[in-house]
Amino acid sequence: MTHRTGWTIALLLVGPALTGGAIAAAQDSQFGIRGLGTPGRWESVRSRSTGGAFGPFDPLSPLMEAPLADLGQLTATAAGYTSNRDVVVGGTTTPLRTTRFPLMGVAGPVAPRLVVGVGFTTYLDRSWDVILRDSFMLRGVLERYTDAIASDGSVADVRVAAASRLSRRIAIGAGLHLLAGSTRMTAERRFDDSTFSRVQQAAEVRYDGFGLSGSVLIGVAPGLSIAAWARSDNRLRGKVADTVSAVTDLPRMAGGGILFAPSPNARVAASVAWRAWSRAGAGAFDTWNWSAGMEFGPRRMPIRLGARGGQMPFGPGTTAPTEAAGSLGTGRAFAQGRALIDVGLERLERSGGGLTERVWTVLVGLTVRP
Amino acid sequence: MTRRRLALVGAVLLVAACVERLAAPANCPDFCPSGQITIVDTLLTSSIHRDSSYRGYLLAYQSALMLAAHLPGATDTLDGRPIFRINGYGARMALTAADTGAILGADSARLQLYVVRRDSATRNLRLQLYRLPITIDTGTTFGALVAPFTDSLVRTVNIDTLLAQPGRKDTVTGDSVVVDSANHRLVLSLKLDTAAARYIPTDSGTVSYGIRIAADTLASIAFGKGAFGPSLQWYLRVDSLGTPVARKPGALGARLASFVFAPPPAPIDSTLAVGGVPSAHSLLRVVFPKVIRDSSQIIRATLYLVPAVPARGTPADSFVVEARNVLADFGAKSPIDLLLGDSAMIHPGATDTVKIEVTNLLQQWAADSTRPTVLLLRPEREAQIFGEIRFYPSLATAFRPTLQITFVRRFPFGAP
Repeated sequence: MTHRTGWTIALLLVGPALTGGAIAAAQDSQFGIRGLGTPGRWESVRSRSTGGAFGPFDPLSPLMEAPLADLGQLTATAAGYTSNRDVVVGGTTTPLRTTRFPLMGVAGPVAPRLVVGVGFTTYLDRSWDVILRDSFMLRGVLERYTDAIASDGSVADVRVAAASRLSRRIAIGAGLHLLAGSTRMTAERRFDDSTFSRVQQAAEVRYDGFGLSGSVLIGVAPGLSIAAWARSDNRLRGKVADTVSAVTDLPRMAGGGILFAPSPNARVAASVAWRAWSRAGAGAFDTWNWSAGMEFGPRRMPIRLGARGGQMPFGPGTTAPTEAAGSLGTGRAFAQGRALIDVGLERLERSGGGLTERVWTVLVGLTVRP
Repeated sequence: MTRRRLALVGAVLLVAACVERLAAPANCPDFCPSGQITIVDTLLTSSIHRDSSYRGYLLAYQSALMLAAHLPGATDTLDGRPIFRINGYGARMALTAADTGAILGADSARLQLYVVRRDSATRNLRLQLYRLPITIDTGTTFGALVAPFTDSLVRTVNIDTLLAQPGRKDTVTGDSVVVDSANHRLVLSLKLDTAAARYIPTDSGTVSYGIRIAADTLASIAFGKGAFGPSLQWYLRVDSLGTPVARKPGALGARLASFVFAPPPAPIDSTLAVGGVPSAHSLLRVVFPKVIRDSSQIIRATLYLVPAVPARGTPADSFVVEARNVLADFGAKSPIDLLLGDSAMIHPGATDTVKIEVTNLLQQWAADSTRPTVLLLRPEREAQIFGEIRFYPSLATAFRPTLQITFVRRFPFGAP
């Protein structure tokens, strides 16, 4: 494949995000309805299959930039998730299903010791649809109604990153993040009494924001690496018909990880991340998230296992909702390693404020090295 | 190979880009959006002003029906009498392609009438057919026909008796009636003898008739016009070289079909009149609040009208008053928007407040700010009923027309 063809693939992958037409959404959650949304997971399928533990070390995960420095050739990746979610509240279980397309990226060396990557991932998912049955007194009569309030869209994190390996032990990276996206919001009310017309309002809310990130990857010893990253986003501005509807401060965040590879066929990693979501206002919490995972077997077809836990940034009450997940997966390389398909399965449980979500997610990722 | 790879990438993109909708029952307020749909209900008591009434939109002869009634009231009797004129064939008639013969007269004739509206509760309904001067026209008044309606009776038919006859046919008089239950019509066929159907060649065979009705109760019916109007089948005698021969030419329809009635409608005053004959309309000009027009969605609007007097009309003939928008406010000659209309049923004698749901009309105002915010009230079937209602105008502070509007404020989209 020619260099030109490779960049064609790259544009195919990234172009929609840059034009704002992509549906970049990740796993939804009822916990995101009340707040800014559900934060996306900046992980490739490989990383997510290990609970996210490999995220700081995976060049195809948009969590850190420094691992890009180890990409020896042009590489493009995309991921798709399908989630089956059971929402349990008040003894009632509602099954929901979503298919998302949360990650695309392309990166490759552009000069000696300099690798550049562009791509997008979900920053905040804002897709939800709630239905409410209620009644109230109107014109002296108890009127029953059904509300359907829906939001469809997300805020994408379009990242331009650069990384460089300064020495055999140290690689650094930095990224510029443009937050952009929109949600199509609708509010509808149907009265049981047909003398009242159906209420139907809709608007497109556009979002923008900006962020910077930096990361470092250090090889402490043969087979042992540590990583650290930090990121600061300024604010998320929401606009409805060119009128600013809300400006919300976005979190500063930081994290790190450790990777131990005792042999070529075994890798163990752990990571932790802190995000200051409480800056976003009432009902938002700072969060800690951890993950641990392993990958063993030949690189052509490894087996991956992982677990993660932590907190969700938005929820009712005075404490943050919690989440815990276990995952497994594998991958398969084709065409002398030029194409990789990764698959994974994740079981996630979130709880807080009397609501529990149990999610099965099937993960599929495709990586191409032209 | 490159194409295959591109195709593979494309296929993955397409499959992965599918998104299902997420519909979950809300658990409020913890897991509901912070913004809620806000409903506001407001009563606009002083927004209607410069209201006025106009009469004369449809006259009796322009009505689609001929109204017949005889309803004694407390002070006067509502008396409606259909009148119609049927022009004849002239003084001569073609006998063959080459010859004509003078029309000597008529042996008989058969008059067909459609009763298109009647109250099935009416008992002993009688119909009296009068010969009228052939000079009747659209300007003929009730008073001008008092004499012929007194001394020119040519036939009397008891419709209830006729309906009770075997085969609904009176073998003595030759009258018959057909009940069209699908269309709720009676088709009367009355046989007129030589005296009742006089073909006068010097008048070109033109005849005019008038109808009075009577009943034990609720004597109010309507006769059809046009395709369902009166028609006369003549059975003529024509001179053929000195020998009278019988001829049955084609039936003739009425060239004039109208009705006269008494008492005449009360003149327009400060109240808002709707209905009657000639029909009356009322215009209500509304100051439409900007807050509702610009930033909300109207989900219900109700116009309240208080009758100033009990609704007039025949007891069986409830009528519909409709509210419509106008395309431009030219007062009495405002062009009516026929696209949307809201209505309410009016029962004669009733004095209850009339409520008309005008949601459609106000939604149109909100959607198009160039529209005049004027409501026009008119009867749904103009000049087809005697019924008329008069509402208090905006000048009557305690009983003025009011609008109750239920609207939704703009949803706070984009709020966190």
